[in-house]
Amino acid sequence: MKSIRGFLVTALLATMTLTLFLAALHGYRSSMVEVQALLDAELTGRARLLSASINGQTHKEPVASLNGQRAFQVFRNGALLWRSDNAPDTPVTNRAGFQDINFNRHRWRTYTWTDENGGIRAIAAERIDVRNALAENIILESVLPVVAALPLAGLLIWFVVGYGLSPLRQLADQLRRRRADDLSPLPAGQQPVELMQLVNSTNGLLQRLEASFGRERRFASDAAHELRTPIAALKVHLHNITCTLPEGNPELASLVSAVERMGNLVEQILALYRTSPDHYFAQLAELDLHQLVQESIAGLFPAFDRSALQLELTGSTALMSGDRPALETLVKNLLDNACKYTPAGGKVSVAVNDRPHGVTLRIEDSGPGVPEEQYTRIFERFCRLGGDQHNTGTVGCGLGLAIVQHIADLHGASITLGKSSFESGLAVTITFPRHATPHPGAA
Amino acid sequence: MLPTSVIIVLREVLEAALLISMLGAVSGMLGLSRHWAGAGIGIGLLGALSYSLGINSIAQWFDGFGQEFVSATMQALIYLLLVSIALLVLRRTRHEDARTGSIPVLMALAVALAVTREGFEILVYLYGFSSTLSQLLTVSMGAVIGAGIGISLGVLLYYVLCHPAIQRVPFISFALLALFGAGLFSQAIKLLIQADWLPSQLPLWNSSNWLPEHSITGQLLYVLIGYEATPGAIQVAFHSIALLVLLGLAAAIGRSRALPVDQGKVS
Amino acid sequence: MNRFRKIYRLALALFGMISSMAAQAGRPVFLIEIRNHLFEPEQVVIPANTRVKLVIYNRDPTPEEFESYEMNREKVIMGQHKTVIFVGPLTAGDYPFFGEFHPATALGKLVVE
Repeated sequence: MKSIRGFLVTALLATMTLTLFLAALHGYRSSMVEVQALLDAELTGRARLLSASINGQTHKEPVASLNGQRAFQVFRNGALLWRSDNAPDTPVTNRAGFQDINFNRHRWRTYTWTDENGGIRAIAAERIDVRNALAENIILESVLPVVAALPLAGLLIWFVVGYGLSPLRQLADQLRRRRADDLSPLPAGQQPVELMQLVNSTNGLLQRLEASFGRERRFASDAAHELRTPIAALKVHLHNITCTLPEGNPELASLVSAVERMGNLVEQILALYRTSPDHYFAQLAELDLHQLVQESIAGLFPAFDRSALQLELTGSTALMSGDRPALETLVKNLLDNACKYTPAGGKVSVAVNDRPHGVTLRIEDSGPGVPEEQYTRIFERFCRLGGDQHNTGTVGCGLGLAIVQHIADLHGASITLGKSSFESGLAVTITFPRHATPHPGAA
Repeated sequence: MLPTSVIIVLREVLEAALLISMLGAVSGMLGLSRHWAGAGIGIGLLGALSYSLGINSIAQWFDGFGQEFVSATMQALIYLLLVSIALLVLRRTRHEDARTGSIPVLMALAVALAVTREGFEILVYLYGFSSTLSQLLTVSMGAVIGAGIGISLGVLLYYVLCHPAIQRVPFISFALLALFGAGLFSQAIKLLIQADWLPSQLPLWNSSNWLPEHSITGQLLYVLIGYEATPGAIQVAFHSIALLVLLGLAAAIGRSRALPVDQGKVS
Repeated sequence: MNRFRKIYRLALALFGMISSMAAQAGRPVFLIEIRNHLFEPEQVVIPANTRVKLVIYNRDPTPEEFESYEMNREKVIMGQHKTVIFVGPLTAGDYPFFGEFHPATALGKLVVE
């Protein structure tokens, strides 16, 4: 993964190192020229001073040199007058002016001064290694901070680049935290110009997306809504026909069942769109799930009674925040399923409990159960196990569990499937967080 | 003392840094991972240490020309590795299913050899000053400056070569690699002449008046393309052949349409 | 790769043989010492258009690198060791060389006559 920050820090640091170090080297060189000129001037001065101080005197004893780092020779007409003890008897050079030469196991910078009469020749010498070390020590003081400051500069660049890139990071965060179905525009006001185009384009895209999603949703729910009236009329007419025709007509029975199923499907589609996130968040309220389940059971009791199913509810008050109509649909769909798939005389048990990790709803039946490998499939829309064979012959459209999953996702709840505690059958456990935080994947 | 240490360290570090940059750009083009660089540097540092520890006996080989032998062998091997890499890349462009697995290994080897040779020079140089603390300080500072400049140039070259516009024209990276590799080969030939294994000749030309070898540009060109101000005919001939071989491969790679490949694997 | 290496080694060995024969045939030998980061002698006079053998003793405890841009020579000499460098044939003129590790003091030149 390429990182803009990594690139900027490395490239900036490389550029800075290059320019700073080259500048430091350049500074070193020009300082060195200056210092060498200064030392040369001093050497010249020493040679002149020597020639002046000798002043016609005859041979003098060699003097001890300063740490052996400097040397001199004075000649008159080629005859040695005076020297330091580290210089030879013969002239180290015969040329006037500056010269670098080796003698006495060192390399020396020499200056030869000859006075106007040409009689006196004074040679002052200085060891090059000592001289360079001296000059270097002076100059190094000014180069050292440049080198030492570089790690600091690197650290600062790291932070500054991080700060400069923070709008980008914030924008990415905003996009990442956003629910998948949240199509509201990104705030454009405080964005830097570089990101403006990106934000504007994204917002345009989001707008078009939302418009087309809205159209789709409206179409589905409008269609379902419009279908309700003719289906109701169909049911009434069918009822009337049933009354006039002799009983036990199998074709009529299947017609009734088909109409029943169509009505169910339309209701489910409406439920699915009623529980879309934009509706959902307006309706979040504190409620007692136990009580809600109780009420739902009361409404469904006739159906259970017809199938001679034993239904029991256990547990206690369980407060949580949720969307009441949506949760009612969820409980109803689960109970419907249990009722549909449990053969007559079977058992269905419902438990609502307030557990430390959240509120749990567990519905178990003594029906045939679901094979484990089918667990994920049954939540898919329009999935129906074993084709259309309910041994109870009840109508279903395959949307029930898809809606359950959808509502659970909206509440940030998790669904686990397992074997029921009866001899056979399915156990559905849904764990709701006490305070619903919307699941980002909910769509 | 400071400029000397800067120059010595810079010349050696720059050579390794340029090689790593160019190979890095090539492996980016092929969508290969770049782990070979770290491995190559690591092995190379160990190699440099062993070479400097063993230099006294190595120097005795071949009647005192062990140093030339080892250096020339390493430089020639780097050149041969570069040729092999170019051949493998060329095969990859011809056959979509050709394996690229050995390319990173060859790259790691080339880097390891370069770092061994250049690290050796730096280690020997620094070793000479290890006894006097004040000098060591100056020399280390020079080394830091030289290494800083060398690595920075390598980093910048790498980013330039990684620019999409340049990655689309593989010939550029491979041609640079060709100039660099041929320069190394020419240096190997120079060492063989120095050891008297190849005949020495009068220089074919003398360009030291308008581009002295010891000038900054001269040094840079020496590292980049093996510039010599006064080369002999044999050296020029070998240099040209080495350059033509690699340039030919670069042109062949540049003509094929299949690069860059494996875009999906770029990490 | 291995084959290349073998050929290369073979070639080197061959060159080695030729070179030792050539060396026995006798090239003029010149001695240079490095002492206290100085070349002794500073100046070496060698004949023009002749290949000569420089034997360089490094009497210092620290390593030095003999280098000459004019002669295209470059070789590290470890402390307290000697080394051999062949130079030439050269046309008449001055060919400076220096110790790359101590270029302020280790300076010398070959004078070709």
